[in-house]
Order: sequence, then C-alpha cells, then structure tokens
Amino acid sequence: MSSHILRRLAESLVVVAAMSFVIYALIGLMPGDPIDLMLSADPHLTSADVARLKALMGIDQPLLKRYGAWAAAALSGDFGYSRLYVEPAVAALLDPLGRSALLMGVSFVTTLALALPLGILAARQPRSLADHAINLASFASISLPSFWIGLMLILVFAAGLGWLPAGGIADVGGGGFIDRLRHLILPVTTLTIVSFGAFARYMRSGLLEVMGQDFIRTARAKGASERRILLGHALRNAMGTVVTIVALSFGGLFSGALVTETLFAYPGMGKLIYDAILGNDFNLALAALLIATVMTLVSNLAADIAYAAIDPRIVYR
Amino acid sequence: MRRRARILIAALGVLLALAGPAGARNQLVIGVSQFPPSLNPLIDSTLAKSYVLGMARRPITAYDADWHLVCMLCVTLPSFENGLAERVQLGDGREGVRVTYTLQPGATWGDGVPVSTDDVLFTYEVGKNPSTGVSSAEGFRRILGIEAKDSKTFVVTQDRIDYQYQALADFELLPAHLERAAFADPRTYRFRTRYDTDPTNPGLYFGPYRITELVPGSRVVLERNPTWWGKKPAFERVVVSTVENTAALEANLLAGSIDMIAGEIGMISVDQALAFQRRHGDRFEVLTRPGLFYEHLAVNLDNPILTDLRVRQALLLGLDREAINKQMFGGKQPVADTIVHPLDWVHTDDVRHYPYEPEEARKLLSAAGWNPGSDGIRRNAKGERLSLDLATTSGNRTRELLEQIMQSQWRALGVEVHLRNQPARVLFGETVRKRAYDLALFGWVSAPENVPRSTLYSKEIPTAENGYTGQNSDGYRNPEMDHLIDTIEITLDRSKRADLWHRLQQVYAETLPDLPLFFRADSYVLPKWLKGVRPTGNLYTSTLWIEDWHDAGDQPR
Amino acid sequence: MMPRQSRAALYTRRFAQNRPAVLSALLLLALAYASLASPLIAALMAQDPSVVDLYHRIAGPSLAHPLGTDELGRDLLLRLLAGGRISLAVGIMGALAAAVVGTAIGLIAGYRGGLVDAVLMRATDAVISLPLLPLLIVLAAVDLRKLGLPPELARSEMASLYRIVVLVALVGWTTVARIVRGATLSLETRDFVRAAVGLGATPVRVMLVHILPNLAAPIIVATALSVGNVILLESVLSFLGLGIAPPLASWGAMLSGAQETITIAPALAIYPGALIFLVVVACNLLGDGLQDALDPRTLTARKRA
Repeated sequence: MSSHILRRLAESLVVVAAMSFVIYALIGLMPGDPIDLMLSADPHLTSADVARLKALMGIDQPLLKRYGAWAAAALSGDFGYSRLYVEPAVAALLDPLGRSALLMGVSFVTTLALALPLGILAARQPRSLADHAINLASFASISLPSFWIGLMLILVFAAGLGWLPAGGIADVGGGGFIDRLRHLILPVTTLTIVSFGAFARYMRSGLLEVMGQDFIRTARAKGASERRILLGHALRNAMGTVVTIVALSFGGLFSGALVTETLFAYPGMGKLIYDAILGNDFNLALAALLIATVMTLVSNLAADIAYAAIDPRIVYR
Repeated sequence: MRRRARILIAALGVLLALAGPAGARNQLVIGVSQFPPSLNPLIDSTLAKSYVLGMARRPITAYDADWHLVCMLCVTLPSFENGLAERVQLGDGREGVRVTYTLQPGATWGDGVPVSTDDVLFTYEVGKNPSTGVSSAEGFRRILGIEAKDSKTFVVTQDRIDYQYQALADFELLPAHLERAAFADPRTYRFRTRYDTDPTNPGLYFGPYRITELVPGSRVVLERNPTWWGKKPAFERVVVSTVENTAALEANLLAGSIDMIAGEIGMISVDQALAFQRRHGDRFEVLTRPGLFYEHLAVNLDNPILTDLRVRQALLLGLDREAINKQMFGGKQPVADTIVHPLDWVHTDDVRHYPYEPEEARKLLSAAGWNPGSDGIRRNAKGERLSLDLATTSGNRTRELLEQIMQSQWRALGVEVHLRNQPARVLFGETVRKRAYDLALFGWVSAPENVPRSTLYSKEIPTAENGYTGQNSDGYRNPEMDHLIDTIEITLDRSKRADLWHRLQQVYAETLPDLPLFFRADSYVLPKWLKGVRPTGNLYTSTLWIEDWHDAGDQPR
Repeated sequence: MMPRQSRAALYTRRFAQNRPAVLSALLLLALAYASLASPLIAALMAQDPSVVDLYHRIAGPSLAHPLGTDELGRDLLLRLLAGGRISLAVGIMGALAAAVVGTAIGLIAGYRGGLVDAVLMRATDAVISLPLLPLLIVLAAVDLRKLGLPPELARSEMASLYRIVVLVALVGWTTVARIVRGATLSLETRDFVRAAVGLGATPVRVMLVHILPNLAAPIIVATALSVGNVILLESVLSFLGLGIAPPLASWGAMLSGAQETITIAPALAIYPGALIFLVVVACNLLGDGLQDALDPRTLTARKRA
C-alpha cells in the first residue's frame, strides 16, 4: 500500500509540473493584453507607449523563454511579483486564501450537516413520502443556477427586508466575530442550497446499496431493530462512499466559488483566479492555480486511500 | 438548531436596523464596480484609480464640470496675456514655450512636509525615465526642462506651442521625500513605490482626504486630511466599496450598505438607472450626464463594400438612432453627429445630419450597385451578397442589444450582418489592432478639445510593417483632415481654432470614417440627502470637488 | 443471463413504474418538440421572432404576445422556444460529446491497465483541476478557420454554441471516464470476456463487441445526468459573458441579461430561470429513473417498500 502511495505522489508531481506548463501556455495564448485595453480608455496614451510598457513587462518575449524563467524561479521558491496587486504573488494570495477557506469551510460543514441527515432519513423508508420529498428537494438543489439563487437571496433578505448585508466581508470599522458572521450568512446559504442535494443523494444511494446486502438481512432475521440496523450496521458501511465524496470535495476549499464571490463582493480565491487570468497576471494566476491543483491531487489521493482503508475488497495493483 | 439560529439572526437584524445613526452623517459609502489597481498616480492609469485619488490629491490643472481649464494645485493659469507664458526660440528654428506655475502656498503633504518644487523636479525625473513604467509619457516627452525659481514656483519649457500649452497634463506630483528611496533603481520603482508597499502613509496625499485603509479587491477607506488647504469636507470618512455585479450593486444600495453609486465607474447602464429611478425615485435621485465616451461603429475602409461612401451613408440613414435614444436610453444619450461632444465649446451643429430615412438608404444602396436578391439580401453585379461582420465586446449588455437592433434594422434594407462578439481583450488586442473587422462597435474615451490625431491621421494606420502602431484602424486617408489636424494643434487664437474645428466636423460628417452613434452617459445614483455632486462628463472625476459634497440634513433617512 | 428482448422489456417495465421519471421524459420530449416547432408557431402567430420593435419593449402579456415582449420588443414566448432549442442542443450535444470521449478513455484505461491506465488516470486528475476560464477565452479567440472548420461554419453565429460543446468535450469527460473504467475493470474478469480473449479476439474487438454493450447502462445514465449539468454550465458562462452570443438566444443568456431589469420586469428572469430549473430537474429525474431501471443492484431495496 505504501508503495502505491509513493507512486501516486511521484505521479502527482509530474502532473503538477505538466499543469504549470499547460496553464502558463493557456494564459499566454489568450490574445491581447490588458495594456491594449488602456488605449481605448486613456486619450493621452499612444501605441508607442503601449509597446514600451509591454517591453518593460517582458511581455514581448517568447512564451517558452518566459515559462523557463518562471519555472526556474519557482523551483527555488520565488513565485514572483503579482502584476495586479503589486506585491509578491504568494503574499497577495494569503488573505483571499484564508477568506475562501472560511467561506467554503463553513459552507461545507453546513452542507454536510443538512445533507447527511436528509440522506439517512430518505433511506430509512424508500419510496415513502419523506423519501420523495427529500429526493425532490435534492434534485431542486442540484438544478438551481447559483447566481440565480444568490441574487434572489440578496434581493429578499438584504434589499427587501434589510435583515442582512448584501455583500462584503465586514462593515467598515467592524470586523468583529458577529459582524463577519452576518456577512457570511447569505453566501453560505447560497452555497449550501446548491450543494446539499448531491451529498444527500450520495448518502441515500450509499445507504440503500448497503441495505440490500445479505448481512443486513441476517441482522434483521436475528431480530435487531430497524434503527440499530440503520445507524449501526448500514451507516458504518456506507461511510466509505461518504468519506470518498467528502475527500474529493476537499480540493474545492481552496479554489473558491467565483460566481458566489462576485455576487456577494467577497474577495476570495475564485475571484482572485478570475482576475489574475483576465489580467494576464501570470505569477499570481500560476501560484493560485497550482495551489488548487495540488489540493485537488492531494484530496484525490486521500479519497482513494480512505476508500481502500474502509473497504477491504479494493486492492491496488 | 437552525431555527433558533434564524430567530437569533432576525432579532439581531431588527436591532441593528433600529440602531442607525441619527442626525448628520459623518460617513459616506460610495459603490463602484471596479477596484483601483496600484495606487501610484503615474503608473497604470485607470478611471477607478483617478476616482479614488481625486479625493486625496489634486492635479495641477484640470477641466471642470463646465469644461473650462482651471488651476487646482497651481494658483494662476499661465497665459501669454498675463505674462506667465512666453515664447522661446529653440535651437533648430522651432518655437517652444516657457510656462510658469506657482503651487498653492497651503499645499502640504499629510505628514506635514510642504508640497514644493522638490516634488515637481522629482516627478519630472521619474516621468521622463523610460524604464519606470509611467503610462502616459507623452506629457513628459514634451518637456525640455524644468527650473525651480523658489520652493513654490517653477518654470516649464515645452518643445512646442500648441493649444494645450496652459495645461500640465498627467503631471501628477509624487512626494520626493518619501519616494526618492524607492526610485534608487528606476527599473524596480514600480515594485517599491510606497503607494503600493505602504498605501496608508499620510505623506503620500495632500488633498481633503487621505487613505487610511485598503482591502485589495474590496474597499478603500479615506479620512479627513488635517493638512488640506481648502474648504473642510463635510464627511469625516469616505468608503469606496467595490461590488462588481451591477444587480448586486443596486441591491447594496437598497439595503443601505452603500449610499451612492459613482457614475464614472459604477457601470450602471442608462437603462438600468432609469428603471431604478422609476421604482425608487422617492429615496434616490438619478443624474445622467453624457460623458466623453464616444460610442461608434468603426468601419474598415479597405473593405470593398464599405469603401463606397454611399453604403456608409445608407447604413447610417437606415438606423433609427433617435428612436434608440428615446426608447432604450430615455433620451439621455442623444445622437452624435461627429466625434466632438455637444458640450465642447468647439462643437457646431452646422454639419450634415443623418436622420432615419430608410427609403433614402435603399435608394443609395441601389445606386451603389446593390440590388435586392430573392431572399431579401442585396447582391451586386457579380452576385456577391451584401454581407458584413459586426464585432463588439461580449458581456456588455447594452452593446449586445444595440447590435441586434442594427442587425434587424439593416436587414430591412437588405443588408446581412453577422454578429461576432469577443471578449474586450480580444477585440482591442487583436481584431481592431490588426484591422481584422468589417464593422466594430465600441467606444473610445476622449478629452475636451482632444485632437483626433492618432485615430484619424493618415500616418497613424496600423500595419504589419510598423508593428501595428497607430489607432487609425479604419484606414482613413483624407488630406484635408490631415491638414486640419496639423493646423488646429498649433493655432492658439480661439476663434480661428473654432473655425478649424467646425470645418473638421463638417469633413467628418461628409466623409464618415466611422458611423457615429452617441456619447455614453454616466449614471449617478445619489440619495436625496446628498448635495453638491457635480458630474463633470470628462476624465477629471467628480471627486476632485469632493469638499463641496454635503448632507442636506433635511431629508428623512 | 436473460435473453436480450426480455431484458429490454424488463427495463421498460421498471422504468414505467417510476412516475417522476416518466413525467420527466414526457416533459423533455414536449419541450424539445415545441422548441423544434418554433418556426411553425411563429408563422401561426404571424410574428417574426427576430424583428426588433423599439416601441413595444418589455410589454406585458397581450393578444399578440401571450407572454409579453423582451427588452427589444421581440415576442417572449418565441424567444423562450428559440432559447430552448439552443439550450437543449447545447446540453445534449455537450453530454454526448463528453460521453464519447469519456467512454473511449475509460475503456482503454480499464482494459489496458498498467502504465496506460496510470497515465490516463493522472491525465484525468489534471483535467479536473484545469481552469476553465483561460481555456474558454482561448477558444473564444481562436480563429475556427485555422482549426479546419469550413468558413461558413466558422463565421456562422452558431460558433458560440460549438465552442461550448468543444469545451464540454474537452473537460467534461472525466466523470464518464471514471465510471467506464470502473465498470470495465469488473467486466473484464467475467467469463464471457475471458472466453472471447481465449478464442483469439483482438483487444479492439473485445472492447467494442463484448465490453462496450454492457457498459451501455452506466453510460446512458451518466449522459442523461450530465445534460442538466451542461445546461447549468451554459448559464454560468453567460453570467460571465462567455456563453451563447447574440443573436442566438439561450435560457442562460436570457437569465443573465434579465439581471439588470429584475426589479421592473421580473418576468424576463422568471421564465428562463424556471425553464432551466424544470429541464435540469427533469434530466436528473430521468437519469435517476434510468439508473433504477437499468441497474440490477437497487432492485432489492425497492422491493422492501
């Protein structure tokens, strides 16, 4: 097993290296540069100025050369300067990373807190009214466009009723715990609404699959109560699926949610990556995306390990 | 647990809603939809940055809301008449000008150091150095030298006399005592400037406010600057809050998280603003003012279909621009006839107009050799279809609506138009720059009396040979226009200049290098209690007069 | 193993028992039919859905316009139907494209194993973490003629639709690939596959003739489920300004465009939003129903109720 893990780690490193090149190339292939946009916005700017600025930024160099320079620096830990934030790329990342981790982390917890009990409830009595209702709610959850539900929440609770702030991280002069909590409520609600459905269904289907197996029938024949069967035997065996799903979603904690962050004016990683890419800020975009890539790979590996640990029937060659 | 939490939140919400500030407000929250990038005034100039910095600094000269040139940081506007400007002979037979400015005696940086000619000389050093990354270097290139007469007065020698000799454009002062260290190596100046490494340092600002807090991507907080020499601003604190989604921006306004939406960078379309006013006119006032953003259709004059003037005239006659203005923009974005803004003093109405006359348009197209085909689309003698591509920026709602209107109205004439939307960076970086379009719908920013050299001069056509420099992407070659541009720049006499400008507009309207549409209006959404905000309509933002903004006090919350 | 015909009958019967799934299938068929028939409906209503009428913008329902008009005076009902054509087309084409690519990759990875499997699975990981945004912009900028598309197609207004389909094909195959690989791994240990190999069938023949037909169930289910996801993706892309471009209508573009006027004309947002919601729910219910019908494992749980 540990040789498998080592092999996966080695493969992941290769993937990260390859991804860095692919992302660099993709951003470099995007035509134009934000400097070109300045021309139509500033009447005193001339094309000569644009050319001069591009040369200053090193944009006129061939892509491979620039990638090589970036890779060499990155290997020694220097991820360069962010063009957008005008500070070292890694430093520019830290605050948004923390904010995204907070937002996504809290949403993750609330989503699971809502989805898992619902899934269990649905699996207890398949085809019952409760099951149908929960199923429908789950389907509704995965079918809603997130920007739509977010906008509706803002219009009702912020603009309409005035109970909650319409966006931002905290009030000016605020920043205390209650203040930050208030500002998190609507974005977390939005994310929870669009995410719980998938998890509830995984929980339900995982449980149903287990419930159909022989050892459950045996336990039932031996006279164990339904409750004990569900919570004791079935749940423990279905946890494998759940843990896998949870582990796989872990990577998303660090890439943020672009749409929600834009709508709620919450400057997290999703927005940062979007702005960095559109702003041709290679250093920042690469630093951010590599973090996201690494987290996804780590979470994939963790998911595989967790599943293997829980289900002894899986053998890795 | 969730229900209890919700009740708690509701209770909190009610409490917080009740406990609002009573009496005059000491804080103003402005909503914008772009966050200012690095704060250094010389590097990377964007409107969002000008807006924020306009509260904390002043340019030496500026155009006010009536589009007159006024002195802000200087005391008197130099001119030949008052003796502060004099001609000077340059070595090679050309004539330059020596202009004298005196800085405001009370101007002091926020840390107590007076604004002086040291700063002027330092700024000049930074601006003329090609490796510092200053964006608008044109202003610096014209300066041959600067002498400091004393700590507040200096003389600038410029390499030419043109109509702009009085304005010292783009010469934004840097605090020498703070920035000199960062300038030790010019090539790394833009990474070490204190405006980015230490943006809340009071010594960087001398205006009515100074920046005290900066959350990148989210907000900028400014507070009153005690060293400001002018009228004391009404609000103790100003917060500039960024919300990029315009629907969310409106929601923030209604929820009270922001007090007003800045027209310059609010990105609220006129349509949206008018709709807002209809719904919430009791609490808010919507000001719209046509700005210097010239929305037009760029025409590739080398396209054989479009080379024919009659086709261009037909396209314009076949577009009901008046109805678009009335129905789509509530009359707030009147039809433009040329590149000159109606509020510009050189504007004239004595040019050829193109009202909506679709019959006339059809006659012109037939005269140009395009006859209706069986499917309604015209064809020429060779059987080619009258088919054109129309490119514009994707994601811009107003432009998407406009291009569909054009497609529909031109189809009625027998012209087939294919819509090609592209992200702005592609449109400007590739399509327009390399002249790879038939028609392109976009706008460019202008300034009062801005001579259209880069866009209409025949030598400014971007080609592969010259590395695509120049903004005359239409490929316009008109000797009279060239001559007018050359002459206007060096004519100082106002009435003579006006005549030349009138002629320029007439030539433009006659020869139609572009198809003019309208000047885009900025929409300001202001609470009824806020008075004193004067949209300027030009590149000098309304925040340059922020000390005039105040709470009228007599309006309920 | 039951003979093919009675298996099909069994699947159909099981599916028919699932009311929500049947209703969803009927709804989708009805919408598809109405969307395809929209030119006919337009003729019946004597309206041209693309003509702009600036004097009747955002009008309420009337005899001429049963649902009112949009922000350019065009009939809203016809725009919704036209939008449906595009949205459904994007969903189905995208899902199919992703399914084809995913099946190929999953099949090869599962059957070959070893290095090929490792490379393909790491590639899958890489694609999952690839940022969609620069890919989209590059696709938006690439001159499709250079990629070999005939000029008519490249210039056509359907270009934005093809771009989304290409994008989904490039990045959406990962789920199907994983499922197919898993199913292949379990199938190749079965006797009939071993027998085929023993009889000398080439790997390609084994994969295509013996394994692939048995993958049909999970592939169909995954495809049905992903149609909804593609439609949702299209709406997010339109929100970002990178989705379906005018003059094509799509529900996602209509929904995003209605944000500005949401307070004065909520109908412009409600209709496309509701339609997206209905269609995606229907796709998911349909996929779920297919899964129940085609997957033997959930039979026992059903019997309990």
